[in-house]
Amino acid sequence: MPNQRAKLLRLHLSEGDQYEGRPLLEAILDKCRELGMSGATVFRGLEGYGETAAIHRYHVTRHDQPIMIMIIEQPEALSRLIPIVEDMMDTGLIAMSDVEVKRIQKSQSGHE
Amino acid sequence: MIQKGPAKKVTIWVNEDTRHHMEKLWSAVFEYLRHKKVAGASVTRTQVSFGDRKLIHRGDAAETPEYSYRIEFIETAERVDEVLPTLYDMMIDGLIEVQDTTIVKHVNKSKPSSDSRTPLERRQGEAKIMRVFFGERDKWHGEPLYDAIVKRLRMMDIAGATVYRGILGYGAKGEPHRQHLLHISEDLPIVVSVIDSVEKIAEAAAVVEEMLEDGLIAVSDVDIIRLVHGKRNEAPDAESKG
Repeated sequence: MPNQRAKLLRLHLSEGDQYEGRPLLEAILDKCRELGMSGATVFRGLEGYGETAAIHRYHVTRHDQPIMIMIIEQPEALSRLIPIVEDMMDTGLIAMSDVEVKRIQKSQSGHE
Repeated sequence: MIQKGPAKKVTIWVNEDTRHHMEKLWSAVFEYLRHKKVAGASVTRTQVSFGDRKLIHRGDAAETPEYSYRIEFIETAERVDEVLPTLYDMMIDGLIEVQDTTIVKHVNKSKPSSDSRTPLERRQGEAKIMRVFFGERDKWHGEPLYDAIVKRLRMMDIAGATVYRGILGYGAKGEPHRQHLLHISEDLPIVVSVIDSVEKIAEAAAVVEEMLEDGLIAVSDVDIIRLVHGKRNEAPDAESKG
């Protein structure tokens, strides 16, 4: 199976970020599923700073660790997602890089 | 200096009573190998053996114990070629065997800098980052897959690997349509992130692919700005690049 070209999208936000009364990271994850993204993984950083650091210090005293959501998808799919997520995010960072992917699924290819 | 990778293993079988001039042959062979500074050699005495003549050599016989000896050493193919003609000449009775072998690990506690890896060579410039996505509960022969992958990469002298655990996610294990998509606390997503040269990442990807049952491997370009190893007195050029 040849490697597939795709894009790796990283959304950087804060754990305390909210969207329509619920955690932003969950809202984004739901949106990813809704738009048919094949996967998304959420990571919590231990510490960090960015544009929002100062603001968040006033609003939230806990749950303010940096969050990074990583999505690997075809560029077409991401172009559907990005404008929507951009609207949902108050402050934060969206970064994209080229990536070569290989999906491994031995159990379903039936040779075991 | 022998390094990781292909090498030759030479085994010489000889009886105790075989002589080389005034000396016992096994001892003469050993001294010769020492003189030629081969990487290392060991002599073991066998308990019971027989050879061509079907005589049983017993080390535990009450009278006149007759041992046979096995001399082994491992060297590069070139060094073996160098010493073999002399050994061939010396052996008037016995057997010499050469086999291909692979050195998996060769370390010397007192000379850590002689480690086979060369960090200076791949410290800067174009490289690749490989991210491997799978689940925390995935196993490889009974041990956590992320542990097994990291250990294997270390054995391969890959520059470094970091295991991240996501706090939630979906899709890492190729089940895009399942109902309960957030695997919260059940099987958290794991990403192992590895950075090394283009060639080393290609090697690593092949090995990881073999170990992975269900998951995703993603490779992208990256620039290594600096790879620092914790050897304080390493090299003056570490400062010049600082």
